Amino acid sequence: MSKDDLSRRDVMGMAARGAALAGLGGVSTLLAVKAHGSDAWYIDTSKCVNSRLGALGVDTCLRCATECVLPLSAVRAVNEFADCGRCYICPAYFDIHSAIDADGLPSKKLCPRDAIERRPIGWIDPDDPANNFYEYLIDESLCDGCGLCVMDCKEPAGLGSIKLEVRHDTCLACNRCSISIACPDEAYELRPTV
Amino acid sequence: MMKYRRIGEMGAPGAKGARFEESARAVACTSDGFWYLAGDQEIHAFDSEGKQVGAWPTSLPAWSLAVDRGGRIWAGEQGQVEVFSPEGHLQDTWQNEKLFGFLTAIAVGERDIFVADARSRWIHRFDHNRGFVNHIGDHHRKGGFHIPNGVLDFAVDLDGTVVVANPGMHRVERYTPDGESLGYFGRFGQHDPESFPGCCNPTNLALGPGGQVVVSEKAGPRVKVYDPHGKLMAVVAAGDDFDLGCKNMDLAVDTEGVIGVVDPIERILVLYEPVDAPVATAGVTS
Amino acid sequence: MKAIREPTRSRSGSIRWLLSHALAIALAVIVLPGLNPAWSQTDYSRPVDVAPSEESIGEGYVTPDVQRPLATSIGRQLFDLGLLAVALGLAAWIVLRRRSRWAALVLTVSCLAYFGFYREGCICPIGSIQNVTTALVDPSYAIPYFVIGIFMLPLVAALFFGRVFCGGVCALGAIQELVLLKPIEVPPKVDRVLGSLKWIYLAAAIVFAVLPAVSRDFIICRFDPFVGFFRFTGPFHMLLLGGAFLVLGIFVGRPYCRYLCPYGALLSVFSRYAWKSVSITPDRELDCGLCDQACPYGAIEEMRAVRTSCLACARCFRSCPVHRSCETPAADVTQEAA
Repeated sequence: MSKDDLSRRDVMGMAARGAALAGLGGVSTLLAVKAHGSDAWYIDTSKCVNSRLGALGVDTCLRCATECVLPLSAVRAVNEFADCGRCYICPAYFDIHSAIDADGLPSKKLCPRDAIERRPIGWIDPDDPANNFYEYLIDESLCDGCGLCVMDCKEPAGLGSIKLEVRHDTCLACNRCSISIACPDEAYELRPTV
Repeated sequence: MMKYRRIGEMGAPGAKGARFEESARAVACTSDGFWYLAGDQEIHAFDSEGKQVGAWPTSLPAWSLAVDRGGRIWAGEQGQVEVFSPEGHLQDTWQNEKLFGFLTAIAVGERDIFVADARSRWIHRFDHNRGFVNHIGDHHRKGGFHIPNGVLDFAVDLDGTVVVANPGMHRVERYTPDGESLGYFGRFGQHDPESFPGCCNPTNLALGPGGQVVVSEKAGPRVKVYDPHGKLMAVVAAGDDFDLGCKNMDLAVDTEGVIGVVDPIERILVLYEPVDAPVATAGVTS
Repeated sequence: MKAIREPTRSRSGSIRWLLSHALAIALAVIVLPGLNPAWSQTDYSRPVDVAPSEESIGEGYVTPDVQRPLATSIGRQLFDLGLLAVALGLAAWIVLRRRSRWAALVLTVSCLAYFGFYREGCICPIGSIQNVTTALVDPSYAIPYFVIGIFMLPLVAALFFGRVFCGGVCALGAIQELVLLKPIEVPPKVDRVLGSLKWIYLAAAIVFAVLPAVSRDFIICRFDPFVGFFRFTGPFHMLLLGGAFLVLGIFVGRPYCRYLCPYGALLSVFSRYAWKSVSITPDRELDCGLCDQACPYGAIEEMRAVRTSCLACARCFRSCPVHRSCETPAADVTQEAA
């Protein structure tokens, strides 16, 4: 038998590899057919203590910012503009318990990372700044999802237009999400995305 | 500073009548001691002892109540006003698609009827022939008063001045019936009891017999009394008196200075009376 | 000594084969239901619906759109899959063709930096066993296509080139490689007994992954001893365990890989009939035993490389006098073993 002919060992090897590839291919196809999309982590705002109505007078839960394994958490605060009151004194933007400055506004801002931007919108009253509506925009590159603004926007203090959301383009989708493990209200859950 | 004392409740569960099941929204009182409370889709009437003496349905949920000189009850609703006799019989339904959006306050005088529309954020003035006379608040800014809470509340003084709560600007404002501004008092402040805290306070307003301004606040629910010039006279209720989630607590004050506050969480009417000297006379100076 | 050249299959052809099939996998991921639409979070109903309207605000103000959570980035997933395929191909080429220990080390450290520290060690093929198992059993569980790819690629690579994933790419293996300073030999019987532990761990991982969702537990992720180092944070007992493994790993070569890794159990099956792998040709080897001494993983027995245990670290090449004396790197040290 010349060296170019296939030995029995070669044939066994090819057969085994072929069978293994077929097996892998079959399992992949089976899984891919069953999977129409993927699961992702979501925050259930009806359970999250920072968002859910009735949970008043309690400390803000900061875990969405502190527990994520990424250096900047994948959770962000999002302001539903259509639901926002556009108030002159926003309890989520200002730290309303801070001292009042010369303009009659609180001197400190609530967000520890200064991620909220405030600007007057629409028709602007040149004489009276209190007579304007203000838009509050959250800068996603600064926000770390700590939830302080979410808690202070909640009814009745505010209108509850700010809530926490998971940014799936950043989230690693770990099997055991460390935020989910730490969440005391079981508000962080894996859900199908379609 | 004056003091007030809680003297009782109306509409609480018990032998005196049925409590509202979902919500309590508005209150009005008469000069002879009857109180009317609107909630769910009904109006309940109580006598001065708090016994429920009547209850009748409204065709839409009532958001505001007023009682006119004849004792008829005017209920402001969404898109319409319903007028009931003191016994609760529906006498009239007044609809106005354009101007009646969401009526959260109503006042009926001898010549004028004022309604507060939370949709357009203005107060509309009509005469008794249902003819529109003028808006109040329309040259404040294009959008009217700032009411993020969704409730615009006002009261009309004996001389016709319209006193309006403007919560987004933390003010109590005064207007002539024609809509001219007569000034305002109040400012934002979280710590000083005389200022209005949080995002939007005061939410509701009523006038006492001596011209005092009684206001209610949310997020730190409070009821306070100011003199006509804006100086704080009393903090009627604060802290634990109401659930932290209370907001838009409607007010009414009777001729003896007893303040009725709607508790929207408990769905009852809570009454406070002044403990010290009786009410101040009209035109009091600060 | 004249090199005896024997006909072998073209090496570059095999690399091309692998790359072209990795591309096919990547293409399949694109073609299948592509970009997922944005979804909203749970509905949050507010009792009062009275935010100021655009007319009230005036001056042509338009309420801006609220940014919704974007879909998981397909681009990033494809990039990671592509990188994994490239790293596997590179590992195969470095270990089997270049046979350079130094290059293998550089590749290992790079993969540790990217897949370990930058990607926070997640998603890894070891944990993906559980996702695959759950998806096969639970009809309501949707496994991302990306995870299927992560699971399959190193196994396909093992079918053709042996455990190159272990040697060049796995971040958990890499961190243990770096601390292996004074390797000792584990007695073969002990090695064999301990080696069966990984099958028990694999079985336990499967059992926990097929439990119903309320009691399901991803134990491979929970008991990953090294992920705490990648993330600079973790439960104290896991950090302690990881530290213990690393201290042990100074002396015992890659203890987690050889005795516990459930994916290693799978790889040992798939590498058994590898098309090309590290092997010692009987008619060229000198019987000097230097490779056996150099191999810290006990993968050389009776002067023959054991494919299922070989972790493709290329240390044997570095110590082999024949390999060092050959002038062309394309010498035929790797051939189908007898």
